[in-house]
Amino acid sequence: MYKKGGSKVIALYWFVILMIIAGGIFSMVYSFYHYPYDVRELEGEIMINKIADCLSSQGNMSSGLFAEEGFSESYKNNFLNECHINLNVEESWNKEPQYYFEVNFYKSENLENSVFNIPKGNLNLMADCNIQEEKEYKREVKCTEENFFSFHGEDLYLIKILTVIKKTEKNVK
Amino acid sequence: MENVIFIILNILFLAILILFLLRQGQGAILLEQSHAKQIALLIDSAKPDMTIILDMNKAKDLAEKNGLAFEDIVIISNNIVTVKLSEDGGYSYSFFNNVDVGNPYPDNSDPENIDSYVFVIGGYK
Repeated sequence: MYKKGGSKVIALYWFVILMIIAGGIFSMVYSFYHYPYDVRELEGEIMINKIADCLSSQGNMSSGLFAEEGFSESYKNNFLNECHINLNVEESWNKEPQYYFEVNFYKSENLENSVFNIPKGNLNLMADCNIQEEKEYKREVKCTEENFFSFHGEDLYLIKILTVIKKTEKNVK
Repeated sequence: MENVIFIILNILFLAILILFLLRQGQGAILLEQSHAKQIALLIDSAKPDMTIILDMNKAKDLAEKNGLAFEDIVIISNNIVTVKLSEDGGYSYSFFNNVDVGNPYPDNSDPENIDSYVFVIGGYK
């Protein structure tokens, strides 16, 4: 009699434990699959590669970047067309574009001061990028930066490319 | 007898749990989102004159189950990819690469890629 009662109690406990485990698994899986995939970092890296390919080929900077007296302002103004990048891809974004990128050029002998820069897109996103270390703003934008060296004739330049992508609606819950 | 019921209930519980886990990753909303983003990122990294063949086996099964033709599930218009796997569903994601992408179509030419979609990247816009 005692044995039978004991085994029933154990079975009951067993099912209570199973239900707790199942509840935990259900809630974890539910919350995991109900967050959108955040692909902004990848998107930023792809954008950096595209910009880098446009600026430099086989270690040499694109000749279009330079005018007679140095860097070309018209290339800068026409950069999106030159590199085939479209930052206003959705009509609803016209009020607030979701992309920003900035290319800074440094001479190898002075890596502190940029000699030329090309900023494009929504400059306001840079502010979100600067406060990204605070947890509250961590998911607002994704900032990705990469650097590489490239030659223009005898001169060696460091090129820093920073991309900032918002698109929170599609990537963050 | 009690032991048999206990074991059956345990097996039933595990089966429901495994079924739940397997089904979670195969919902239309999730597949639409993952395919739309995957296609947008592939187009972003593409260069003119490339042809991309993407396996969409699971999407095909789901679309056919929901009464949609496989050739209608991917639409690309004005730098926006839309993947639709159910009548009232659909997920869109944009790409920044300013290339002309022709209408994507299922790959019927190769029996090995029968569940795949073909994306032909044209020139720059």
